[in-house]
Amino acid sequence: MATNKQKKEAKMRKSRLVLAPAAMLAASALVLSGCAAEEEAATDASTDSSSDSDSSADAGDDTLEVYALLPQGNDQPYGTTYLPPMQAKADELGINLTITNSEYDGDKQASECEVAVAAQPDGIILWPALADTIRPCLEAANAADIPVWITNADVNPEDTELTYGYSGTDSYGQGAASAEMMCELADGAEIGVIQINGLSGNSVATLRGNGFAETIAAECPNVSILAEQPGDWNKDDSQIAASEMLTAVGIENVQGLYAADDTMVAGGIAALEARGENVEDYFITSIGNTFLGNPLVKEGKLDGTVFQSSSWDGENAVTGIYRAITGETNLGRDDDASVLYMPNPKVTIDNADDPEVAPEW
Amino acid sequence: MAQAPEEKPEKNSRGTIEWFAENGIFVFTAVLILAAAIFVNGFASLQNITDVFHRAAPIGIVAVGMTFVVISGNYLDLSVVAQVATAAVIMIAVSNEYGYFAAVLAAMLAAIIYAVVNGVAVGYFKANAVIVTLSTTYIGLGLLRLLSGGSIFFGPPDGALAQFGAGKLGPIPYSALVLVLMTVILAFVLNRTNFGFTVRSFGVNERATRLGGTNTGLVIIGAFLVTSLSAMIAGFVLAAFSNTAVSAMSTGYDFQALAAIIVGGTSVFGGKGSVLRTLLGVIFVSVLSNVLVLLNIGFGYQQMALGALIALAVAVDALARRAGKK
Amino acid sequence: MSQQESIQLGGSDKSLWGQIKLTIARRTEGRGIALLAIILAIAAFTEPLVFTAYQITLGRIALIGLVALGLTAVILMGQLDLSVASTLAASGVVLASIPDLTLGIIAALATGLLVGAINAFGVAIIGINSFIWTLGMLFFLRGVALVLSDETPVKLTNADAGIAFGQPLIGPLTPRILIFVLVFILIQMFVSRVKMGREFYAVGGNPQAAKDAGIPVKRRIFTGFMISGFVSALAGVINTLERTAADPIAGSTVLLASFAAAIIGGNYLKGGRGSIVGTLIGAAALGVLQVTLTISGVQVPVQQIFIGLVLLIAVTTDPNNLRAVLSSIRSARSSRVKVQEPASEPNKSTAS
Repeated sequence: MATNKQKKEAKMRKSRLVLAPAAMLAASALVLSGCAAEEEAATDASTDSSSDSDSSADAGDDTLEVYALLPQGNDQPYGTTYLPPMQAKADELGINLTITNSEYDGDKQASECEVAVAAQPDGIILWPALADTIRPCLEAANAADIPVWITNADVNPEDTELTYGYSGTDSYGQGAASAEMMCELADGAEIGVIQINGLSGNSVATLRGNGFAETIAAECPNVSILAEQPGDWNKDDSQIAASEMLTAVGIENVQGLYAADDTMVAGGIAALEARGENVEDYFITSIGNTFLGNPLVKEGKLDGTVFQSSSWDGENAVTGIYRAITGETNLGRDDDASVLYMPNPKVTIDNADDPEVAPEW
Repeated sequence: MAQAPEEKPEKNSRGTIEWFAENGIFVFTAVLILAAAIFVNGFASLQNITDVFHRAAPIGIVAVGMTFVVISGNYLDLSVVAQVATAAVIMIAVSNEYGYFAAVLAAMLAAIIYAVVNGVAVGYFKANAVIVTLSTTYIGLGLLRLLSGGSIFFGPPDGALAQFGAGKLGPIPYSALVLVLMTVILAFVLNRTNFGFTVRSFGVNERATRLGGTNTGLVIIGAFLVTSLSAMIAGFVLAAFSNTAVSAMSTGYDFQALAAIIVGGTSVFGGKGSVLRTLLGVIFVSVLSNVLVLLNIGFGYQQMALGALIALAVAVDALARRAGKK
Repeated sequence: MSQQESIQLGGSDKSLWGQIKLTIARRTEGRGIALLAIILAIAAFTEPLVFTAYQITLGRIALIGLVALGLTAVILMGQLDLSVASTLAASGVVLASIPDLTLGIIAALATGLLVGAINAFGVAIIGINSFIWTLGMLFFLRGVALVLSDETPVKLTNADAGIAFGQPLIGPLTPRILIFVLVFILIQMFVSRVKMGREFYAVGGNPQAAKDAGIPVKRRIFTGFMISGFVSALAGVINTLERTAADPIAGSTVLLASFAAAIIGGNYLKGGRGSIVGTLIGAAALGVLQVTLTISGVQVPVQQIFIGLVLLIAVTTDPNNLRAVLSSIRSARSSRVKVQEPASEPNKSTAS
């Protein structure tokens, strides 16, 4: 028995002996291959790979180091098409980007911000996951003299003084634009609509939802929002939610449908079609003019949507931070070039073929 | 020796209490459906029945498959989230280029890889299933996003897949028929095959089962394979219904499926339960969600109601079980 | 399950390295320590910023680890608490909804205790499996947070206090880190020195035997869940203060990360084995890994794959696991031998 125990202990020690260096080698190989994969990845051709830890501290380098704190990336279609133009612009301007994705978790983004500030980059591109919780991050960046450029979703008015500039869309405005189209379609008639929102608690969903509902209430109170449910940015969830809402309020009472993006509106349209309804009879608006939405506009099923350009967004984020770093734009957004609004062009069947609003995501 | 888990109450029953203890959830679901049909406007319409089935099908298919993992005492398979999305993306992206057959083959390959990695880690290395499947979720979603670029894929508007997704038999969508078929097959496998017996006895008494000499590592791989194939089919069904695929479309499937499994009466510590019970749990949760939307209840209150009713259902079940034992 | 071998029979390696290896192999935290050592080594080679800016790394560890510490108290008893994520969010919302800061903090922490009590009630009194009961609470509390906040972040009335809370207090260490260390010390002492706390292990290892030995199992379960609820609420308070607003959907990443930290640190989900120190080590390993990957600038999906691989390797390479694999290979081989000729050696494999 004693021999067996000793043998077991010996085996354990041996396995530890073998294990530790083997795991270390494997792990190091993985890290290096991960960095290599990043280099080989189609989008990134920058030669200053961040696998060298001293590159970020190098003062003599021509490359600028910029941290991009984003709340989405390859996990969502918009983010997926935002990244390549951003990377391309960065390569063009000689910027090395370190990109994070906090998946709309405010606490995670705050922690990433701390890491970013500690890394002392030349600049920070910030796309706030939650505008209400981002001020501490801005103050920390300011204290460290790191310029911050806001992209896609702006901070609250009282926090703009801590930033160098902003480029992006305006989620509230997008919801409002979609509402304006709905008002035009209603043309004074008393109609009922159902509303499909994005993921509950998500800042974009909340802003678009409020933008739509408040604009409707203000500009065409003849339109009543009979029901609203989240579609979670998914087509399938939206289809089921729309169908159930139609049952709940009675389909005869519904003349219109709004969804916070084209993917969800496609689900709503599918719900109507599954019931054998003639979709053209309904007033349907949404946001995005995406690969899914644009064909629906041309077919006459989607009456209006709002174009959003992910490439404009990604590029201008980089252009903006470059301007901030090189001193063309200052803290506090005191010049005209420091606030760039992506236009919210409305897309209807009349301009659906315009190259200016060609779908990007 | 491992004891066979009891599926049915003894015939020398102590009357209705014992029966209720075992079958409380059946009663609860029946009451829910009845109450909804009477009090909720529009619930009993054919269109709404279709909607309930559309809700139930993808989650249900995952849940009946995942029952195997839960019954074996391995808590749950978190990687179903990654697997459903992977299968959906493969189905649409591959079929667009290379046709449906290639898509199915590719998806099956992915499912087998997941099952082998999960199964070997849990069955042979005896690692904790929660962390193993969490790690395969990270790896799987990371790979999916890397390879698919995170984009959204579309199927052709009148392709065979879309037609399947929209097809119905009366008020019952094809996807629900798939769910029923899978329930029948998997119930048979779990209750009437050696493999199923070993899976169940694993949950009752793992040590005894291992000592019993069966090649238990393979059995665990088998349990994960059942889950993976079910997740794959759920992904197909989801892709058919929505005619799109994107990596984020399966969020929440892990806990929703688990809730359905456990509400149905399968114990999370394994050994007790059945595929039919899971189907029942799925129906309960789907009907509940459907009713909450029909009542125009906001999302926050929906979550509260869902949580409270899940807790209530299992509480009633547990109390009745206790009363039956006295 | 294999027993920790407390008797060392002669012939073992007496050198320091040998003693270290033996300790590592024996204790439940062994794997966690090994993993942490490897991760620290990699970080030192590739991204030394992780160490030079150590307060950031500590902050990330505290973010993951605080909830994990409270969770461990429950896991030691063989129970699970899935509601921690929503408790965090709901407490934060409660704090922000009350204009008076002190009152808000008290209310938020009380919320955590209340949630813990409700959880314990379901598990100990009604007798429901903790996984499903706390899963139901996870949904329920998420709804509560969304309803109370009207699905939008709730700002703190006293935002300046919040920002002050985020500033370093002692040296470069922020209150978050200090509270984390304090909670660690308190819970560790409770579980290892206080009789009530030590009984957690007994309850987890064999509840029936614990009851027979006179331990009030139900009361211990209440204590455990209330610790977990309180600590989650504390985490919610800290987050809300630092962010100056409460996010009703906070905590989504914390839930599984906490479980990962506890399990990597050697805690067994079935209870009875593990330690608070182990959870600390697990949280440290995960935190350092995450920060290292963020700084490295590797593509985010690749980072995810990497974390998944590290987790997978970590959780399958415990001496227990390797022994299990070796024994099943051995038994497969010897059973094959048996078919061909009667084996002279009986099968030596032991079930773990």
